Amino acid sequence: MDFTSLYEVAWLVPLLPLISFLIVGFFGKRFKDKGGMVAIGLVGAAMVLSLIIAYGALTGNLPSEGYFETSIEWVVLGSGFAFELGIYIDTLTAVMLIVVSFVATLVVIYSIGYMHEEGERRRRYFTEISLFVGVMLGLVLANNFLELFIFWELVGLCSYLLIGFWFERPSAASAAKKAFLVTRIGDVMFMIGLIIVFNLFGSLTYTDVFNEVAMANVDQTWLMWGLFFMFGGAIGKSAQFPLHDWLPDAMEGPTTVSALIHAATMVKAGVYLVARMFPLLVFNGAVNGPNVLIFIACIGGVTAFIAATMALNSPNIKRVLAYSTISQLGYMFLALGTGGYLLSQGEIESGGLGYSAGMFHLMNHAFFKALLFLSAGAVIHLVATEEMRKMGGLRKYMPITSLVMLIGALSIAGIPPFSGFWSKDEILASVFEAGSMNGVFMLLYVLGIATAFMTAFYMFRMWFMTFTGPEGEATKTVAERSSHGHDAHEHKKGRFSEHTPKVMTVPLILLAVLAIFSGMAALFFFGDTFYGVVYFDEPNHETALELLESIFTHALTYLSILVAVAGILLAYFAYYKNKIDVKAIANKPAVKPLYDMLLARYGFTKGYNWIGEKAVYGFSLVLDKFDRFIIDGLINGIGKVCMKTGKGLRKVQTGFVQTYAGVVVGGAVVMMLLMYLLMTVLGVDLSP
Amino acid sequence: MMLENVPILSLLLILPLVGAIAAFMVGPRAKLSKMIALVASAVTLLLASLLMFEFFALGSDLFGSYQYVESYEWIKAAGISYTLGVDGISVPMVWLIALLCFLAILFSWDVENRTSQYMGLMLVLEVGVMGVFTALDYFLFYVFWEVVLIPMFFLIAIWGGPRRDYASIKFFIYTHVASLVMLIGIFAMYFEAAKPVIDGGLGYKSFSMEDIALVSGNFGIVLQTAVFGALLFGFIVKMPMVPFHTWLPDAHVEAPTAGSVLLAGLLLKMGSYGIIRVAIPSFPGAWDTSLGAYESSMFPGLSYMQIIMIVLGVLSMLYGAIMCIAQKDIKKMVAYSSISHMGSVMLAFATFTEIGLAAGVFMMFAHGLITGVLFMICGVVQHKTGTRMIPRLGGLASKVPYIATFMMIGFMASLGLPGLVGFIAEFAIFIAAFNAFEWLLLVPIISVALSSAYYIWAMQRVLFGPLTKDIDLEHIHDVNWYEAAPLSVLVFFIVLFGIWPGLIMDYITPAVTKVLTGGF
Repeated sequence: MDFTSLYEVAWLVPLLPLISFLIVGFFGKRFKDKGGMVAIGLVGAAMVLSLIIAYGALTGNLPSEGYFETSIEWVVLGSGFAFELGIYIDTLTAVMLIVVSFVATLVVIYSIGYMHEEGERRRRYFTEISLFVGVMLGLVLANNFLELFIFWELVGLCSYLLIGFWFERPSAASAAKKAFLVTRIGDVMFMIGLIIVFNLFGSLTYTDVFNEVAMANVDQTWLMWGLFFMFGGAIGKSAQFPLHDWLPDAMEGPTTVSALIHAATMVKAGVYLVARMFPLLVFNGAVNGPNVLIFIACIGGVTAFIAATMALNSPNIKRVLAYSTISQLGYMFLALGTGGYLLSQGEIESGGLGYSAGMFHLMNHAFFKALLFLSAGAVIHLVATEEMRKMGGLRKYMPITSLVMLIGALSIAGIPPFSGFWSKDEILASVFEAGSMNGVFMLLYVLGIATAFMTAFYMFRMWFMTFTGPEGEATKTVAERSSHGHDAHEHKKGRFSEHTPKVMTVPLILLAVLAIFSGMAALFFFGDTFYGVVYFDEPNHETALELLESIFTHALTYLSILVAVAGILLAYFAYYKNKIDVKAIANKPAVKPLYDMLLARYGFTKGYNWIGEKAVYGFSLVLDKFDRFIIDGLINGIGKVCMKTGKGLRKVQTGFVQTYAGVVVGGAVVMMLLMYLLMTVLGVDLSP
Repeated sequence: MMLENVPILSLLLILPLVGAIAAFMVGPRAKLSKMIALVASAVTLLLASLLMFEFFALGSDLFGSYQYVESYEWIKAAGISYTLGVDGISVPMVWLIALLCFLAILFSWDVENRTSQYMGLMLVLEVGVMGVFTALDYFLFYVFWEVVLIPMFFLIAIWGGPRRDYASIKFFIYTHVASLVMLIGIFAMYFEAAKPVIDGGLGYKSFSMEDIALVSGNFGIVLQTAVFGALLFGFIVKMPMVPFHTWLPDAHVEAPTAGSVLLAGLLLKMGSYGIIRVAIPSFPGAWDTSLGAYESSMFPGLSYMQIIMIVLGVLSMLYGAIMCIAQKDIKKMVAYSSISHMGSVMLAFATFTEIGLAAGVFMMFAHGLITGVLFMICGVVQHKTGTRMIPRLGGLASKVPYIATFMMIGFMASLGLPGLVGFIAEFAIFIAAFNAFEWLLLVPIISVALSSAYYIWAMQRVLFGPLTKDIDLEHIHDVNWYEAAPLSVLVFFIVLFGIWPGLIMDYITPAVTKVLTGGF
């Protein structure tokens, strides 16, 4: 089948949700459901097209260069520096298309149920979410870094609008501000990086920039700085240390938005960016030393670890998931940094695996994280609280939700055969491989394993606290409502005892299926392994069987499974069997400060606030005083001096002609002298 | 060519002038004067749009030279002529003038006090600004330059806020003194150019910009630098650049909304326009080290004039942005943000590269559209709530969603969100700045983060959060038609030129190429 004609119309993929944005934005009020069906229809259409395009790209139906590209001229700066708008499709794009369009469609469907009580406001919700999906798809399809940046910023705008959806809450307004400003710091760095790269290559189009000859001709030190700054953009967008603190706050938005931000849009953009600039990173790493790549790996590893520690004792169900996203994104950067490092050192095979594993993890994470968030959303929808202490024993009221969330937790914990296992294991394997070449990676491997342990622990802590054990106060109100039949009308259709509407559970079940199978499916499905389809440099053409063999004959695989199981067991004993008194441990003098520090997010929140409120705002107030009293004071002072002089000079008006004549003559002499001086200084020729 | 034999540039001056006279004449008939002003400015806008299309049809080869030139002798003995003409730099600006004046008049539909005079003055202002952007004779240029002051002075002094006397007089004296310095520069070049041919002069007296530009490049370096400096001083006070900016926030705070729109949207651009129209092409010896301009010993390759411009630009960008954070009055905040953005125009010009100059001119255009929205929305907020003080506002988004939406779009455009017109201007300026100064880019680019900070923070406090208890929000109205219409038109163009910046950029680039190569 010839897919080229489909690739030609790939611009429809971002356009369809943007049309939905316009329709719902302008006419949403006229629809009974405030535009929900329009959004589903158009986002769904974009999904269908995306999936077909992705299928084509992933089954090897791409032009022989390995990519499809088409573009139009957008604007020309100066003479000849043209910027383009275009479409670029390769296997990386394809994976992102699947992830973004599929998760987005499910989230929009789920939103019909979740946002039902919002009434008129749903118009705004569906408007903004359509825009969000559209610009993210545009970002993925861009054929140059400027276009990517444009959509990147628009993605930031949408997350700002949606995090602040309930803007009358001060916390939501503040969280939206924080998300925008913190990521904006990353964006400024991104902009600097883009400008440096543009200045080197005279273009930002992928095909121009990734040209081997062009890459070899540019100044590698400048290129290194350019890449470094571009990665700064990814740090902000993907909530990596030290710009990670906006993401937990971003939980103020509706849970559906959190799901979208964490699984499909926004934070994944940073990972995509790094994967996209991989040719530059590897080339520069090989020629100029892999500093940037090691930096990326370190940021990833450290973030994965730090975020996991913060999730250990968080009382809020959404926050736990937020920390876990930060942590998992850290894994992805760790994988990309490590893979790039290995590639730049000539280790094509293992390096390629690292790169593929990073993108593999991005895909798997998208499915299980969307699942986890939407399940958490179902829980919150029912109990109207996010505090896990008030939940407990919810399994009885939401058996489906509890089951799918368990699947999500197993997947993120890395238990085979759930999807998270396959990618996480491969990431850790490639980091270990790099560890034999550079001690830093050994350290990162230890951090990675520790993170895997903590991940399993906090995910199951969350699951046990929510669904098992004694019923918390919030659960009790649910129990009362059902027994008193207050909302019996909602249940007349006779749904077991599941309290969640079907429009919400069906997407959950679909995602659960993917959370089980996306890892294995990607291993087997495309007639090749994931590593043979989405790869950098050389495809890895191991058959699925060979791959399985290499995974399960590796001792480290069992180590990562072991720590995951250990984490689950610890959570089991602490929060299900209550064999371990967590409160007592937390209150021990040795542990208490650490415990509080984790709750306070290592003081990052305070630090950010200090910078904003004290440093920047304080300085601006000082400058304001300076402006008013010193600069303006000086100007007004001059004015006053003139007025005083004028008053003084009034006395010169004596009325005597002689005085005036004297002044005129004297003035004329002074003027002539001044003119003469001035003209001499200026070099004006005075000879007649 | 429809316009070949039509004195279209003169018409662009005469139409609003006739309108102004008519509006003054009708006296107390307020409604009639509004209609006259609206029709006069609308016809002017139509003509300006026609000019834009016709000019484009000429083809980009001609964008670098003056078109639709009209030249009549005026005072022959002094070499003063009435010469008008437009090129790729001024055509978009002329259109912007016509658009903003029309919208500002529409926006002033509720002016009840001395309406006919108000409308007349708005039109006189349009004549003045239009003249500045089309004049090709220094004398004419200066006359229009000063004409602009008068209506703006009265607009502030009569229809202004509580401290209008102070603000209007400060505005008048401050910018007038600066104009006088510029005038000295003009006279210096006039007399120098009037020297005999053997001395490198023209051999006749002329105020014509084109005539003087023929010889001004050959003036002594000292004189070129001095005249450039004098002109620059006149221009930077108008733009305004820190530390000569303090008249601006005062004027804005007191000025009526439409006055602010024109002040920020057009009057400030007179300064930057002067730099690119007059100073840069006429006196290359002042900034081009390859032509002998004074070169800095500390930064080889940069002339002193260039360094002054860089410092002024970067200082204004950061200073203006930080000042914005401290402001409690949203209008004052927007005023300071104008200083910040005009600083970026100055930085762009200071690169003396093709991209830089084009980006600077594009920024002038973009900023004109965006400040229109910003000041209008400040006016709307003031009108509906009775205050512009941020601490007294809060939660407006849930009561007046249209105001909130317009404000958000305006703020987003101003902070350089891609897809809106400000982005490509800003991005191109930074590209040019890096191209010319490399690591220095790290300093001005901080303003990008700062501008998001003040806008986003202001939005949080004005639009979001719980409803304010300071003011009565129960009976608050959303935008009226005469407020929504101009805002919508501006937003339309902000989006249009944001998505398709080439529409304007294509006019500008050939023209700045000419400026840079010393052609006038």
